Amino acid sequence: MRDDEGSGEVLSDEELVERGRAGDDAALSELVERHHAAAYRVAFSMLQEDDAAQDVVQDAFIKAFRALAGFRGEASFRTWILTIAGNEARSALRRRGRRRETALEDAGPVRSQQKPPDMEAVDAQEAAWARKMMETLPEKQKLSVALRIEEGLSFKEIGEIIGSSEGAARVNYFHGIRRLRELLQ
Amino acid sequence: MSNMKCETVREWVPDYVSGRLARLDDTSVRSHLKACDECRAEVELARLIFESRVDVPDGLANRVRDAVRYDRTSVSRPWWGITAAAVAALALGIGFSSDRPEQSESAIPGYAYELDDENLWLSDDGLIAGAPALDALSDEALLQFLDELDVGGAGGSA
Repeated sequence: MRDDEGSGEVLSDEELVERGRAGDDAALSELVERHHAAAYRVAFSMLQEDDAAQDVVQDAFIKAFRALAGFRGEASFRTWILTIAGNEARSALRRRGRRRETALEDAGPVRSQQKPPDMEAVDAQEAAWARKMMETLPEKQKLSVALRIEEGLSFKEIGEIIGSSEGAARVNYFHGIRRLRELLQ
Repeated sequence: MSNMKCETVREWVPDYVSGRLARLDDTSVRSHLKACDECRAEVELARLIFESRVDVPDGLANRVRDAVRYDRTSVSRPWWGITAAAVAALALGIGFSSDRPEQSESAIPGYAYELDDENLWLSDDGLIAGAPALDALSDEALLQFLDELDVGGAGGSA
């Protein structure tokens, strides 16, 4: 997002929120651009269904922007939107009434781009297996691992999203990692 | 092995595998990994997880933007109905009980979102991991966590 003067300054989320409150659609659009991917991955990790996850992301942003006036900024916008997405996905799960058994072939497409530049390619089957094992983790562990590694969130942010303290988020992360290590051995 | 401690490296592993680590720190981690099998295994696992991220569907951002734009420009905003209902309820003297049996479907944290459901977030056994995970906690965060453990002893979990 560039500022109005075209100086090349990238606006912070907080500044975009302020502009969005004032009715700046471009600011809201930029917030969508920045955070829709993480929101999708949170929703998909819980729902394991592409269409449902997309619906969740859409609903989450609509609800967030409707409530923008009441957003007090105690957490970052990123944490806020991911929390809303998580809650929306949870509601969708409730409506569904059961968790879907996830077959390996039902898992989302394995990421094939943006690999760290200095790392060797990971075998696609190995990555798919890791994803399948991720889905076997308890909800909090799975989200703690995913939010920490895939999104780079701090444990404090993760705690806010999963409704726990920073300490509990840490414990969930490390326990999830340990369990994954055992499963993948 | 480099001077960097394993605890520090493991804190940085997610940022290392995703390329978010500053170049200087990245070099330090790389140096440490050359001589530390355990941390290298940790990195390999984190890398596998990062690489297995699901792809985000093309066009999702535009779909969300369109929906947001439609919602913001719609003349039949649902808020009118909600506001009218709230006014009517107040006029009729209907109170809003704090212990009403059905929570609303609102997903907006505000920012204090409610844990309004039984145990989706609270059902795992994540409290038995090792102590090293807590080393980096501040005193305040540690106290908060210990408070949660007390709650857990009374029937819940973190």
